[in-house]
Amino acid sequence: MPPRVTFQPCGWQQNEDTPLSSEYDFALVNIGRLEAVSGLSRVQLLRPGSLLKFIPEEIMIHGRDFRLLRVGFEAGGLEPQAFQVTMAIVQARAQSNPAQPYSGITLSKAGQASGSRKPPVPLMETAEDWETERKKQAARGWRVSTVNERFDVATSLPRYFWVPNRILDSEVRRAFGHFHQGRGPRLSWHHPGGSDLLRCGGFYTASDPNKEDIRAVESMLQAGHSDVVLVDTMDELPSLADVQLAHLRLRALCLPDSSVAEDKWLSALEGTRWLDYIRACLRKASDISVLVTSRVRSVILQERGDRDLNGLLSSLVQLLSAPEARTLFGFQSLVQREWVAAGHPFLTRLGGTGASEEAPVFLLFLDCVWQLLQQFPADFEFSEFFLLALHDSVRVPDTLTFLRNTPWERGKQSGQLNSYTQVYTPGYSQPPAGNSFNLQLSVWDWDLRYSNAQILQFQNPGYDPEHCPDSWLPRPQPSFMIPGPPSSVWLFSRGALTPLNQLCPWRDSPSLLAVSSRWLPRPAISSESLADQEWGLPSHWGACPLPPGLLLPGYLGPQIRFWRRCYLRGRPEVQMGLSAPTISGLQDELSHLQELLRKWTPRISPEVHSKKRDPHTILNPTEIVGILKDQFHPFWITRC
Amino acid sequence: MASTWSSQIELTTLSLCSFLICEIHTNEKEVTEKEVTLHLLPGEQLLCEASTVLKYVQEDSCQHGVYGRLVCTDFKIAFLGDDESALDNDETQFKNKVVGENDITLHCVDQIYGVFDEKKKTLFGQLKKYPEKLIIHCKDLRVFQFCLRYTKEEEVKRIVSGIIHHTQAPKLLKRLFLFSYATAAQNNTVTDPKNHTIMFDTLKDWCWELERTKGNMKYKAVSVNEGYKVCERLPAYFVVPTPLPEENVQRFQGHGIPIWCWSCHNGSALLKMSALPKEQDDGILQIQKSFLDGVYKTIHRPPYEIVKTEDLSSNFLSLQEIQTAYSKFKQLFLIDNSTEFWDTDIKWFSLLESSSWLDIIRRCLKKAIEITECMEAQNMNVLLLEENASDLCCLISSLVQLMMDPHCRTRIGFQSLIQKEWVMGGHCFLDRCNHLRQNDKEEVPVFLLFLDCVWQLVHQHPPAFEFTETYLTVLSDSLYIPIFSTFFFNSPHQKDTNMGREGQDTQSKPLNLLTVWDWSVQFEPKAQTLLKNPLYVEKPKLDKGQRKGMRFKHQRQLSLPLTQSKSSPKRGFFREETDHLIKNLLGKRISKLINSSDELQDNFREFYDSWHSKPTDYHGLLLPHIEGPEIKVWAQRYLRWIPEAQILGGSRVATMSKLLEMIEEVQSLQEKIDERHHSQQAPQAEAPCLLRNSARLSSLFPFALLQRHSSKPVLPTSGWKALGDEDDLAKREDEFVDLGDV
Repeated sequence: MPPRVTFQPCGWQQNEDTPLSSEYDFALVNIGRLEAVSGLSRVQLLRPGSLLKFIPEEIMIHGRDFRLLRVGFEAGGLEPQAFQVTMAIVQARAQSNPAQPYSGITLSKAGQASGSRKPPVPLMETAEDWETERKKQAARGWRVSTVNERFDVATSLPRYFWVPNRILDSEVRRAFGHFHQGRGPRLSWHHPGGSDLLRCGGFYTASDPNKEDIRAVESMLQAGHSDVVLVDTMDELPSLADVQLAHLRLRALCLPDSSVAEDKWLSALEGTRWLDYIRACLRKASDISVLVTSRVRSVILQERGDRDLNGLLSSLVQLLSAPEARTLFGFQSLVQREWVAAGHPFLTRLGGTGASEEAPVFLLFLDCVWQLLQQFPADFEFSEFFLLALHDSVRVPDTLTFLRNTPWERGKQSGQLNSYTQVYTPGYSQPPAGNSFNLQLSVWDWDLRYSNAQILQFQNPGYDPEHCPDSWLPRPQPSFMIPGPPSSVWLFSRGALTPLNQLCPWRDSPSLLAVSSRWLPRPAISSESLADQEWGLPSHWGACPLPPGLLLPGYLGPQIRFWRRCYLRGRPEVQMGLSAPTISGLQDELSHLQELLRKWTPRISPEVHSKKRDPHTILNPTEIVGILKDQFHPFWITRC
Repeated sequence: MASTWSSQIELTTLSLCSFLICEIHTNEKEVTEKEVTLHLLPGEQLLCEASTVLKYVQEDSCQHGVYGRLVCTDFKIAFLGDDESALDNDETQFKNKVVGENDITLHCVDQIYGVFDEKKKTLFGQLKKYPEKLIIHCKDLRVFQFCLRYTKEEEVKRIVSGIIHHTQAPKLLKRLFLFSYATAAQNNTVTDPKNHTIMFDTLKDWCWELERTKGNMKYKAVSVNEGYKVCERLPAYFVVPTPLPEENVQRFQGHGIPIWCWSCHNGSALLKMSALPKEQDDGILQIQKSFLDGVYKTIHRPPYEIVKTEDLSSNFLSLQEIQTAYSKFKQLFLIDNSTEFWDTDIKWFSLLESSSWLDIIRRCLKKAIEITECMEAQNMNVLLLEENASDLCCLISSLVQLMMDPHCRTRIGFQSLIQKEWVMGGHCFLDRCNHLRQNDKEEVPVFLLFLDCVWQLVHQHPPAFEFTETYLTVLSDSLYIPIFSTFFFNSPHQKDTNMGREGQDTQSKPLNLLTVWDWSVQFEPKAQTLLKNPLYVEKPKLDKGQRKGMRFKHQRQLSLPLTQSKSSPKRGFFREETDHLIKNLLGKRISKLINSSDELQDNFREFYDSWHSKPTDYHGLLLPHIEGPEIKVWAQRYLRWIPEAQILGGSRVATMSKLLEMIEEVQSLQEKIDERHHSQQAPQAEAPCLLRNSARLSSLFPFALLQRHSSKPVLPTSGWKALGDEDDLAKREDEFVDLGDV
């Protein structure tokens, strides 16, 4: 088991079904702050390596995921243990090197599954996965390239990706060399209306490509369209350092003893700039969705590294424009494809390597998704609880999904992992056979860490599939590949399109992204959203001014909300007594009534239906403190 | 683009009179014959008008709008433009029957600005120069912009000075439209539809309320003020402690006597008292003192509980604070153009905070919780003290009752509460809303503050309320509609005297003034379903057979957060309790507060935390969260007219149809179960059908529905201009995918 602190309530047993996690689990990497408390006034902040000065009555573990675990040690002979336990945690933190790779996981569950186990979500590690997905998107002008099969084009790229049909692998290899870290243009998503959404790294300006290379690069960017829009994704969005700073400030603000007065709360919240960054992201994603939807064109997301904001924007654009991405399955595939397979450096960004480049871009993304969920409660199949579960999973060191920086590292590790998974389990003495990929567990194996009751809550009861996939009937688009140079090339920046003379920077003009912009507030003049520019008078869309399936999020100050259930979980006075999400309350009542009805129907023998867990059961404490569960929330830890 | 604009340029001259003489001249019939589109209420008179006025649909750099006539009557300012309201039958079902989309009642006008050479100036009094553009800010936060550039000069003069005069000049009470309407509509509204709201204008109503709250053991309804003999400030009937001699009431014209508001199930009561007049003279002061001593003696003896006096005049909010905060706050939403909007948007939270409106809401809620704690946990009587007991007293006592008494969370109960505490409590609606324009001051929105506090409760605990936020929003709008008497008098005495005299002059029977609680005047039954919360948790049915009083008692006891209802408020007891709790429960946050050694804060915190740590009983005590992140902006009211703020197909409305479907299913299943169980009658299924089959609605629903339809034209900005210049436009057109055909 990876190093962790866990609290086991009295009578708690290792659940066979969810072997990996209990709700009171804190991975050591997740511990943001450890405090020992004695009496009313003595509080000691325990850093790795510090020495405990007194016998604690209580320890408080503040998670970096905003959770809070409070463990009280009741008087009566437990003092020595209290001291020992606390010191043990302190020492374990001091010893655990975040960069040290985990040697593997003991997965009895893995053993149970036979070799043919299929991951719940395609991990995009095989060419078949990519081909299936390509067909699903009906991206006819595209093919799966195997040029990076041995990670020799770029270790941060997946083994397989999509390139235009007509481009040869040799051309791909050469063209990719002219991009930052070898991350050339690849298809992210094919819009059923015909547009293509691409992503790539910055042009490698030091290189001196020959004419043929330039042509290859250009036709890859053009992707057969005559209208090409380059989107500078770093423009107007926060830098990595900005994101990190905002997140740190947010965490400080949400600590239970945060000293911010209640009447100053709003400006303190504003001061973190976290919400500001969220709306910058939503605004940009909304603009790009309009670009992709309003005309048939090639839209290229370009970020120097192509591993952070590109993933964020491309995922958001798909969530806004593709109803499939808003299903539970679709969203998980999206994250797997645009973040995990695309090489978002999770380990570094989440502080796993201790390096300076920590920046929770993925958490920023999750908050953006939560905002969408708030704004469009009927359009998403998954619920807030699912997002919370995902939020809490990023630092849980059970699966490799979020613990590696590149697909290459992940691939290496999963090979190793295979040997560790051959664990002896009483029921299944036969060691599992089959290839390593099939056995690899991912974060999407929710049943490893969450109970069935919790997983049921991942579904959004308000999801109204009426607007969704069925109504999404795109007109089949004749696949046309226009030879020759594009007729119009645009740069999308600061909410407006400006024409460009050429796509690549190498011929005569200075590099586009050499003048990479820092994040700046949008000037007030360009206040009109792109949607208004494009669809000012939506006569051609009749009563509903937007194409079906497209969501345009609100991104005004009052519309961006604070994700209270996530960030304020550590505050005991806030987490209690929230009213139930009314629809799920209703659904509970509905199922309860159906159950009753079934009982009353004489034909069916009355089953003993498993009663819902009493929401206020007090688990009897082994050690000391009873932990009261909040009735509405399966994932947070509550004080007693 | 021009083709889409409607041009209602009427060149035929209408009989236009200047606003001053037309009041005498205009014949209502004649006008209606000439102009079908102008809908006049009974008694309403056209005062002045101007044609070829351009109403901006949405302000930005371009001048896009609708041409039409701008009309000012003695009830409203109306713009008669293209018949855009006929666009969508489906969506206009939530139409107000009295005030249309382009109507502004004269009382709803907040500020009028004129634009002279691109400069915006406030307009008032006599004008020397007439503006090119008229901007009207409304109290319901709509903003109208009318361009007068294409209007004839004399018409501009007439309409602008007419509007300014009729919205800003001081008015006599008798000249309120309320009276002309009531006189003219006398015959039309004979039947008062069955309305269960208790008006508290009879002795019986007060007795009923006493009985309902079991207050009749210690309090009695008195009719000493019948005919307003004692004072004009108090209602004809009210409730005082039983042993209080009636002469006491007369002594200082009702000042200095405790008036009953409400009784809690544990016997403790909420009382209010208007302060005695401030006197310099020692002799009079002595008399006052001995009088008060006598009064206090009566209510300090058993069976009365210990009284805690809560002086709302000092150490709490001042009316000035409320006014300043609100006028700052509303500026955030009164937006003339989008540029302005985006400027404020960047600093949204700090601007919001600096208005301190949300903080004022928090302070009111907190005060109400403190009082609730005294009554509920410490079993004390609370006596609210204020100069006239008609501003913050109304606010706090209503909030306390809303939190403690589930009856007040039903629609009828809520309306009765407003009748009891605000209308009969003598809240000076006329002065606070400045309906008569007696001074230059802006309104002091005490009642609006109350509604905003209620909204916080509704927002935090939706299943506990029978009404919706839409109900609160339209209620707040009704403050400015002068056909309802509810919010247009300073006291019941003022209402009664004014009604009577009119009656003597013209007819024998008194005027029949409408009450705002008759929602059918404003909304069709279909639209009224939006005022009702489908998720309201009905009371348990088991109680059906029980007596009323029993039921209330039973329910509230279930919800007691602290069950030491019999314990005396001994400090030692709580001390121990807190020590224990601090150690094991509340941790550092509380210990900080303890160190400040504020006993009152302790009790408050303990009560508050303890309540919130338990599951909510929607038919019991209900407390709001008051932490920083929990007090929110009443988005529906304040953002509903801002097109930028709309989310198409999003927001709560999106889940509404699903919700209604499920409610129906629950109800039908419930019926089936009931059938099997007993042959009991199932409750009426009453799911609103307004939302059925609706396409994607916007988050602004049910307000401002048509914003998008008539929004901006395609506007070339820097980038798009370049696109237009290029010659391969045709080619691009070909590949344009029209997803609308799909």
